Amino acid sequence: MRKLLVLTLLLLLVFSAVAFAQDGERQLRITFSWPTAIDPAAGDDFSSSHALINLYDTLGYPDKNNEVQPWLAESWEISDDNLTFTFNLRQGVMFHDGTELLASDVVYSINRLNDIGEGFAYLVPDAAAAALDDYTVQFTLDQPDPLFVPRLLRLYILNEDLVRANYDMESTLYGEHGDYGRNWLLTNSAGSGPYMVIDYPLVGYLEMARWDGWWNAENFVENVADVVTYVDTTEAATVRSLMLNDELEITDNWQTIEALQSLDAIDGIDVKAFRSLTAFYFMMNTRLAPLDDVHCRRALAWAYDYDQVVALEWPGTVSMIGPVPRNIDGHTSDLTIYSRDLDKAREELAQCQYADNIADYPIDVHWISQVPAEEQFALLFQANMADIGVPVNVLSTPWGTVVENASTQETSPHIVTIYTASDWPEAGFMLQQRYHSSTANTWQQNEWLLDEDLDARIENSLLIMDQEERYAEYASLQREIADQAYSLFLYDQRNKHAFKTFVDWHPEENSGVMGYQIFAPFIGVDS
Amino acid sequence: MNFLNVEELQRLFLFLLRRIFQSIFVLFGLSILIFLLSRVLPGDPARMALGARAPQETIQRLRDEMHLDEPLLQQYQIWFTNALGGDLGDSLRTRRPVVDDIVEFLPASMELVLLAGVISAIGGITLGTLSARHKDSWIDNLVRVISYMGVVTPAFVVAIIFLTFFTTAEFGLDLFPPIGRLSSGFEPPPRVTGLYTVDSLLAGQFDTFVNALHHLILPSLALALGSLSQEARITRSTMSDNLTRDYIAAERALGIPERTVTGKFLLKPSLIPTVSIFGLDFAANLSNAFLVEVIFNWPGISRYATTAMLYKDLNAIAAVILILGVTFIVVNILVDLVVGILDPRIRLRGARSD
Repeated sequence: MRKLLVLTLLLLLVFSAVAFAQDGERQLRITFSWPTAIDPAAGDDFSSSHALINLYDTLGYPDKNNEVQPWLAESWEISDDNLTFTFNLRQGVMFHDGTELLASDVVYSINRLNDIGEGFAYLVPDAAAAALDDYTVQFTLDQPDPLFVPRLLRLYILNEDLVRANYDMESTLYGEHGDYGRNWLLTNSAGSGPYMVIDYPLVGYLEMARWDGWWNAENFVENVADVVTYVDTTEAATVRSLMLNDELEITDNWQTIEALQSLDAIDGIDVKAFRSLTAFYFMMNTRLAPLDDVHCRRALAWAYDYDQVVALEWPGTVSMIGPVPRNIDGHTSDLTIYSRDLDKAREELAQCQYADNIADYPIDVHWISQVPAEEQFALLFQANMADIGVPVNVLSTPWGTVVENASTQETSPHIVTIYTASDWPEAGFMLQQRYHSSTANTWQQNEWLLDEDLDARIENSLLIMDQEERYAEYASLQREIADQAYSLFLYDQRNKHAFKTFVDWHPEENSGVMGYQIFAPFIGVDS
Repeated sequence: MNFLNVEELQRLFLFLLRRIFQSIFVLFGLSILIFLLSRVLPGDPARMALGARAPQETIQRLRDEMHLDEPLLQQYQIWFTNALGGDLGDSLRTRRPVVDDIVEFLPASMELVLLAGVISAIGGITLGTLSARHKDSWIDNLVRVISYMGVVTPAFVVAIIFLTFFTTAEFGLDLFPPIGRLSSGFEPPPRVTGLYTVDSLLAGQFDTFVNALHHLILPSLALALGSLSQEARITRSTMSDNLTRDYIAAERALGIPERTVTGKFLLKPSLIPTVSIFGLDFAANLSNAFLVEVIFNWPGISRYATTAMLYKDLNAIAAVILILGVTFIVVNILVDLVVGILDPRIRLRGARSD
């Protein structure tokens, strides 16, 4: 027994000596929900967007007002017919391997993205690209697109030579390009951004080191991190331990309200909640009785208690006004705003064709099992609807089943509770991804509108060159969608992160576009 | 050891051959079952892999690449033929060959489960023996309480408790690192087995070995506690039974020291049920480690498999289940061999039936 005790003590001593060895690097560690795809032709979700922005450069950079500012491109010209965009690239920009970024790399990057067709390819138009010289690249469109320049923010510029050198030519997937370097880019970066990958085993963590050869290095904040690590966990107990153990600087945005409140109570830890382009909807299947009757839908919209809904969220959260979050350009408040009003709800219900036998039409509300916090909103809905005699079944549904159900009208439930983010802070993008027929068989639209007129109006609105006219058309669309009560609009989501107070981080100074809130070059780490 | 003469070696060889032959059929059946089951899980795998906004032609390309539009029988045929050649297909989630994923993630789990196995075997047998030797004393009662708690407490709860009390100074002792296999600043050792502790020793990197072991202790202890408790109870129960046997009384009467009686004549036959349970626990831990791996951010196969299920990563699901199947089979063969060593009657019975 004594021997065992001595051995244990010895081991602990050795462990302590090794474990607390510090290497003096300034570290910024952030937890994220996995997977994180770092290939610019693969990643398009929250963690991937944050990684791509730190590893790669883009032609422009969005400021806090969502104006695109020069970045890799020092300037650009748009032809009178709005079909040709010519970008003048900054000279002397170096990739991480020390070679210079040229116009041909831009052409290669857009071609690769569109050939592969994944990630943000849906957002970047398949424009004909040509390098006029080493520092001038030209894109030619088939039709004018007022939002072409913002769309290019999702075009991350790759080092063509480096990627080509890592093609797997045994693959025949992309013809002469073999695997287009996909296998290599799974765990490596080929960019010119402020950070570069040093270790990425695909799960567990993504470790990136600062690239001092970055063209904009003079704008690194003084106490910028030497190493940025994305940690693959959102598990509350783990996150809390890491924070307490000084092994995490910023948490993910998936922590529950209770977990955040508990972290907020600890000295040296604070919580930041800031705008996002995400909104929380109850998406109603308008093809399924009784929700195929607009009066029934409006009855539900008037009976739900939105004040209670926001009370369940982080302080400062506000109810949605219409189908587009209020911090998205082109949002309008000049539309039907639903609030709990049981008289109006009963009035509408009386006009519904199913009014006499509404008890025979129980409404199924599917909330996503992986996001337990959603259940409380579904239960509140159930309780509120009981007040007008509408029966509601609350069902926990795994994400895989939600995706499967969404693929056909017949399997889509009455209501599914979903958070969704706009790709760009402009109303037309949100309207397109929520109500255009192109998303009708995906989880982004349970409404199944399939309305050709509405599709045409959304498509045309996105092509209107004059901003004022464009926003007016967006407003008209929002009014119609609110009037028809296609969805219940719950709240504009705020991103919530706990962070160490020694971290000098100002996400509200950045654009709300996904990924720019945690841009490491502009985050100081004082510890 | 007084067995393993030529005749017994031959019998052992035949036994192994027979078990391996049977196993091929078991794995074949398992592969059909898992292939079919994974395809009835809800969700279009291509859509789930590529996201809501991927164009239809990209989705279709992936479906074609994975032969998802072919009849099930043909899909299985293609998969099976490729699998025989060592190609288990690509993972939809990691987008690389599943074999590469397994090579990456299996050793992490193996290392965890192996140490958990060692802890549960040594701890379980020691506690069980103590309990039996001091039957109905306070030691026995204490071990009983600990064992009951260990059996009824899920590994992830133990993991959270360990994480809270042993990784931060807030509640207890800041003794262990909370996550991962190595601390920041440590390079993984040159890969030989994929087990960091073994590879670091092979490379002579003692610091890395200590760091890797330091990271291993809490998760493997959390994982081991359930099986340790179970093995302690079973050892105690079998030993208590055997204590009343005549041959034990005879050995005591002959004046053989108590330690020798317990260690040589009592423990050995009493371990048979424990070893059988240990084998099952060991293999089960490989698949049950999911939440422990999540909590300690351990890049293991169990976590990989569960995520694959949630996202309908067909090839990954099939491959991992097969790996788990192989592990169960191998461990059970080993258990049979060990039981044969422990109990000559089983060997002799085996000999007669041959």
